[in-house]
Amino acid sequence: MKRFTPLVITLVVSLLVGTGLAQERGGTLTFGRYADSLFLDPVLNDANLDIWVLSSLYDSLLQPTADGTGVEAGLATDWAFSDDGLTLTFTLRDGIKFADGSAITSQDVKWSLDRARNPDNGIWSFTLASIASIDATDGQVAINLSYPDPTILAALAMFNSAIMPQQLFEAMPGATDEEKAKAFAEKPIGSGAFMLKSWVRGSRMVVERNPFYWDTGADGQPLPYLDAISFEIIPDDATRILKLQAGELDVAEFIPLARIGELRNDSRLNVELFPSTRVNSVLMNNRPELPDGSANPLSDLRVRQAINYATNKQALIQVVGFGIGSPMHSYMSTTTPYYVAGEGYDYDLEKAKSLLAEAGFAGGFTVTAMSTAGSQDDLALLTALQSMWGDAGIKLVIEQLDNATKTERYRTNNFQMRTAGWTNDINDPSQITSYFAVYATVESLHTGFQSDEVDALFAASQSELDTAVRAAQYERIQEIYMAAAPIVFLYENPYPVAMSNSVQDFVQIPLGVYIFKDTYKSN
Amino acid sequence: MNRWAYLLARILQMIPTLVVIMILVFALVRLLPGNPAVAILGDRVTDEAVARVNQELGLDKPLPMQFWIFFNRVIRGDLGESINLKMAVTRLIGDRLPITLFLTAYAGLLAAVMAIPMAVLSALKRGTWIDNLIRAVFQIGLSLPVFYVSLQLLTVFGAQLRWFPVGGIGPTPASNFYFLFLPALSLGFYMAAILMRSLRASILEVLTSDYVSFARAKGIRPRLVLTRHVLRNAMISTVTLFGLSIGQLMGGAVITETVFAIPGVGRLMVDAIFGRDYAVVQGLTLAFAVVIMVIFLLTDLAYTVLDPRTKVA
Repeated sequence: MKRFTPLVITLVVSLLVGTGLAQERGGTLTFGRYADSLFLDPVLNDANLDIWVLSSLYDSLLQPTADGTGVEAGLATDWAFSDDGLTLTFTLRDGIKFADGSAITSQDVKWSLDRARNPDNGIWSFTLASIASIDATDGQVAINLSYPDPTILAALAMFNSAIMPQQLFEAMPGATDEEKAKAFAEKPIGSGAFMLKSWVRGSRMVVERNPFYWDTGADGQPLPYLDAISFEIIPDDATRILKLQAGELDVAEFIPLARIGELRNDSRLNVELFPSTRVNSVLMNNRPELPDGSANPLSDLRVRQAINYATNKQALIQVVGFGIGSPMHSYMSTTTPYYVAGEGYDYDLEKAKSLLAEAGFAGGFTVTAMSTAGSQDDLALLTALQSMWGDAGIKLVIEQLDNATKTERYRTNNFQMRTAGWTNDINDPSQITSYFAVYATVESLHTGFQSDEVDALFAASQSELDTAVRAAQYERIQEIYMAAAPIVFLYENPYPVAMSNSVQDFVQIPLGVYIFKDTYKSN
Repeated sequence: MNRWAYLLARILQMIPTLVVIMILVFALVRLLPGNPAVAILGDRVTDEAVARVNQELGLDKPLPMQFWIFFNRVIRGDLGESINLKMAVTRLIGDRLPITLFLTAYAGLLAAVMAIPMAVLSALKRGTWIDNLIRAVFQIGLSLPVFYVSLQLLTVFGAQLRWFPVGGIGPTPASNFYFLFLPALSLGFYMAAILMRSLRASILEVLTSDYVSFARAKGIRPRLVLTRHVLRNAMISTVTLFGLSIGQLMGGAVITETVFAIPGVGRLMVDAIFGRDYAVVQGLTLAFAVVIMVIFLLTDLAYTVLDPRTKVA
């Protein structure tokens, strides 16, 4: 029996440690970011730097589930559609308060959503475009829609649907909404799990726990577990990682893929690859003529398909993504609702060559791609493509431009190819589809792709409440888009975040938003 | 002309220079392709959004009118508002410029502390192994890129030995002597290399001059000859170089500020250029111009102290 004692002790200890893994309270989480937030107004912001942290400061009627696939109760406990699908009634949670202790009323909800859906306010009002009017009664909010809207629940869980204190906001100095928003965003008061304590621009933003937050943790006490989060701005990737390794940071975002393997070998660290909605592609100009009058071979479907076949996605993922990522089989990510994997374009050099010969380009041709100057990722991707496409006789010229110039050229359709990354902002395929495949939005990401069938299906899907019908509509849209190959389908990749082993239950949802309310540090 | 009148005249001379800089900078940022609306909106850009942002920013007005508005504001001390950060540019500069100035001055101080004694030693021990060693070490300082030195310092003294924090700034201004030691050292080392070479050459030149031989012949103690005659004369050209290098350091601070996560104006400037944040680029360029002009002014004033012959220029 004696020789079993160590085993028994180990078992007992591990059981004790196992039960000891209950959520611990207190402490400050130091979080290294590559850049600082710009403008903490939920409605008027337009950068991921703001969007990804706004939900920690502001709460909304609904919130996204941690796996990003659905919505769950937020400031509202119940919601129901009327039979015709045109009225959505929310029941507010009892006793909810803003971070300053004042009560959240249905009038605050009405005012916040009216502000968010006003087309004069920022670039996000389209998500609430179906709302015709809002009625606030005691403890209830009725949202009247001008047409049935299958995306409205997802939209009400977005950052721009945050509920703000009307009276505090309106008491801010300034004549216009934007001036008041600037003043309010300096020291915002919301009802998220945290509230802003101090902010030294470009250096450090500290948020502390909101004592009035409504949600409770596993121990029955109010969330969040953490006392505070200190966001430290460390633009240099190498420095951010060094700071994590030195124990000065608990979490570091945007870990370069090249460093993942090395950090995984560090026993003090935990590297998470959170599933994302990020897709990477090369946009092609599908128009027969370029702005300078020259003919554009990319207008030929066979050429675009040939380029897709000549692209070895697996090799790209190895070379550029250091093995992290998976090939795209639709324009949308696998994490997007209604995603359907199409056949896609598996690497087939012979097929690429024969398609090019059919199109009259047996001798190859030259094509130019815009890249962002100074972006190592862009350069690595395009040089890899240069060599792959070279095998099919396509000569790729890389044009390095600064971002503003690149975007201006893109906007005026003055390009042949460009790299593009996309992340969804709403947990629904409508946003990405509207940008990628619907001509009226932005000429299908300025590719010029236009399909009457896609436009009609999309329009119908925007008011289709039957999920099976809507799924069929999106399946067909993805099929048409894949066959037309307006872009070069590359790969999707996750959000890499490295953290100390002591950090538990930190989540980045596929939309990119950070969820800190359940996060805790174990000793 | 006494020293105060000279100072006043020099300050007045700065005004036309500043106006020219204002015109240049206004024109230059607008010559860049891609307007701020496009830069702000990025890939989510739509035509309506561009039109709306342009109107909000006043970019739909004719250029001369935009310049007139800019000029009038500057005179009243209003540098406009940052498009991306939604803050007054004067406040941004007020928050960030002191950090960069401190870092630059600290680097300059460390450079002087390193360069002057080593230059003297090197010159006095000319041709010996000591001279060769000192010159070799500083040659390395000149040859290595600043970002490489920075990362090595961070790795060894920050992450491994834990003597210094891995980047960032301190909670109080005084604590920055500790927090900014490594970045100041990496900047200062480069500058020290330049200063050391120049000062060593000047000392060697002065050592062979007649007045030094004369002073020695008079029987003045060697230490006094060194400080009063040799160093003082050898410093004149080095002070010019020092003033110029400080200007360069401010430019070079961009890399250091990025690697060491220091929220100074260098990084702000780069972000503003890429973001087409016109007001910030204009305001910072003006602020840089003023700082550089003040440094040059101080350099000139330093001559009058070191070399009595240049008193009334």
